[in-house]
Amino acid sequence: MKIYRKEGDVMQLISYPDEEVNKGDYLLVEDQRSRRGLIIQVIDIQFANIPGILEDILRDVMTEESIQGNDVDPLDISSQVAVLKDTKLLVCKIRGALEDGRPTHNVAWLPSRINSSVSKFPIETLTSEESPSRPIHLGAIKQSSRFIIDAKALDGRLNIVTGKKGTGKSHLSKLLAMSLLDHGAPCLILDVNGEYTNLTRRASGQSSPYEGKIAVLTPRLSLRFTLAEVGLGTIMDILLHALDLPGTSARVFARIWRQLEQNSDLTLKTLGEAIASSDCHESVRDALQSRYNTLVDAGIFTDDPSAANSRRLLERLAAGSAVVVNMKNQSFTIRRIVVELLLSKITELLSCARLRAVFLFAEEAHLYLRETYWDDIVTRMRHLGIFTTFITNQPDTIQESIYRQADNIFLFNFTNERDLDVVSRAAKVDGESVRLLVKDLPTGHCLAIGDVVRDFPIVVSVRPLDVETLGGTRFFFEENRVACSR
Amino acid sequence: MTNASVEEISSSLHLEHSERFLLPSFLVELSSRSMQQVNGRAFSPREISIFAMSVEDEWADSTSALMVGDRDDCTTIPLTPSTQSSVAAVDVSSLKVGETETGVLVAIRGAIVWRSDKGYQYVRCGPLTFHLTYGTDEQSPSGLFGTGPSQMFTERAIGRLRNVLERWIQKQTCVSFRDAIVLFDGSLTVGTPDNPTAYLARILESARERGNVVLAFSKSTKLCAFGRKITSLVSRSSAPCLVDVDLAVAKQFKSYPVRLAGHVYVAKLVEDGFAFRLDADRQVPHESRVEATNRLIASDIVMQGYPETLRLAHIFSTFTANDVIGVQRYLAFAHGLRIAPRFNVRKSLFGPFGTWEAA
Repeated sequence: MKIYRKEGDVMQLISYPDEEVNKGDYLLVEDQRSRRGLIIQVIDIQFANIPGILEDILRDVMTEESIQGNDVDPLDISSQVAVLKDTKLLVCKIRGALEDGRPTHNVAWLPSRINSSVSKFPIETLTSEESPSRPIHLGAIKQSSRFIIDAKALDGRLNIVTGKKGTGKSHLSKLLAMSLLDHGAPCLILDVNGEYTNLTRRASGQSSPYEGKIAVLTPRLSLRFTLAEVGLGTIMDILLHALDLPGTSARVFARIWRQLEQNSDLTLKTLGEAIASSDCHESVRDALQSRYNTLVDAGIFTDDPSAANSRRLLERLAAGSAVVVNMKNQSFTIRRIVVELLLSKITELLSCARLRAVFLFAEEAHLYLRETYWDDIVTRMRHLGIFTTFITNQPDTIQESIYRQADNIFLFNFTNERDLDVVSRAAKVDGESVRLLVKDLPTGHCLAIGDVVRDFPIVVSVRPLDVETLGGTRFFFEENRVACSR
Repeated sequence: MTNASVEEISSSLHLEHSERFLLPSFLVELSSRSMQQVNGRAFSPREISIFAMSVEDEWADSTSALMVGDRDDCTTIPLTPSTQSSVAAVDVSSLKVGETETGVLVAIRGAIVWRSDKGYQYVRCGPLTFHLTYGTDEQSPSGLFGTGPSQMFTERAIGRLRNVLERWIQKQTCVSFRDAIVLFDGSLTVGTPDNPTAYLARILESARERGNVVLAFSKSTKLCAFGRKITSLVSRSSAPCLVDVDLAVAKQFKSYPVRLAGHVYVAKLVEDGFAFRLDADRQVPHESRVEATNRLIASDIVMQGYPETLRLAHIFSTFTANDVIGVQRYLAFAHGLRIAPRFNVRKSLFGPFGTWEAA
């Protein structure tokens, strides 16, 4: 490989066909004289524009299709010409530099074209410590079958996992959640498709070591709170944000709630009766009545303290377990009520230091997260200790501010230009790299960007998980099912 | 030197058993011997422009710069397409690919293209590489061609090497076909030191023995008639036609040794095409020469007045810029030649203010 040109942070190299280089590979351009090197990443591979190549190809086309013949070539020079036709142009981005073996950000110098050597660079030596204190085995990269990241790089961070349908986003999210769980980190998983409910089962159906560490809360079945546990503040959040109760009605509701609390008579039944008999305008009463009915129908409130286990389960998070909130088959309203309720309770636990921090995994968050939460998550909640990972196949549903502030992004394949436009807004990497690398990612491979890879974008083949798969696409035709199981 | 598919193609060429080799072994050996001298040395590769589609060192036919003075000596012969027959064409290209301290590195390649019932077919021979020294090194092919001023000397040596391969392939072609029209590139003018009469005479004889007629097309000619280019003679004639200018031209070749082995015509084969100088084997009767041209226009595609078979032979033999780099890469790999930038006095003296052309 030889340096051809450099423009800005883009370097182009000429590479012969026998040199195996793939998109995403890291190379070291080492200037022998100055004993410095530039760390570059291949973001695109093109054919080198060799002089006269057009005439050669036209001649070949003509030869192959309409003229039969052969070459008497005793010196075998035609093989050298053939090599030239397949000569590659590697388009690379400069990611950093090495000075005396130490990584630096000083890339404001130009290596010599003549005195530089180009070789493959084992980037994992820079992205991961030799023995990280909290290793997460993410998968394999080109140079190493075992690519490890440090769980510390997810701690206190905002993460995004995105890619088109069926590329492996949920799989990676499960891997991250279970790995964090291995290190005793509490995880709250908002699961819209019921994909995470069987994480305690191995692929064979047998129980896994995660049994007892993961609790599944399902509205109407196992997600239950008493009104006293929920508290007026949380209920007001639900009424205002999830059920769009007008301010005037909310004030009436708060008065009723406080009255019942003072009388130590706060139950679903008495709340309903108090709303029905309240001395207020008819329209306010109707508004309160309809919201009350929705809350009752949601099935997540109970007057039986022994049936209300959710608060206990949430408190178990502190002991390093995971809670999966299964919102499969739930209406938009129920999802929003559940999320308002849980985030409110988690915030409460964090505020009173009963929980140090929690890793929140939010699948398709636009389906249940209210507008004001987006900014809240990257500012207030982050400081409280909620570290969110958004998982979506519709990247435009995540606000641009989230992309700009994301600390880690795991990008799976996207082919749609609009989707690529959105994800290329990530501040941790340039848009050109995202576009060129992400387009060609095979299923199960992601481009890891950000703190987890110390800002050296790396293509990772995500390792398989021994858990029962749920949430995959259901097929009708047998061959599709077989192909998918492979 | 040969492989199965070449054997197959050679068979279809009807080559005689003793003449199956399309590259003469002495030339291959000469190439090998000359290249041994430069193993491990430095060389300045020929610089190829990225805008270059193909690269070729044109070899001017010094005998074509002649004047024709008498209009009465020229007659127009109308042509009519007649029966179809096989058409074969031969062309050879040579190219300087670099320079060493002691000489030049040259590549030579030839091509035979023929048209039959199966369509167009070809065999490409080479490239062969040679190191031609400026001196009279016995190992160098230059040593075979006497002495002289270095620049002109190597150019003549290249011309001779090219002629050797071209005549060899022409011979193989003439003895391989029967009742065919064999097209050569250039003229049938012989008798110069680089182009001996006897060898072409034998080729033409071999062709006649097998019922072939040799027609040679010159892409550019410096023959002038009445103060104008000879090809302008046919501008008012309706194509296809030949203008017989042999008598007028022959007057210019009275003196020995240069002589015309071909009867000289100006050929305009299509209405909207160009006119070319056409030399037809002088030993073939006039009627047969005209009939051969009639068969050519019936058997081959004639684009812009030039036979397609010959055009293809030219395309297959010429070097593209890519070929040049490939040859240079071969030299570096096979002979350990180190690439050294060419020293340019103008560049050294004037830098960006000098012209790029060599002084």
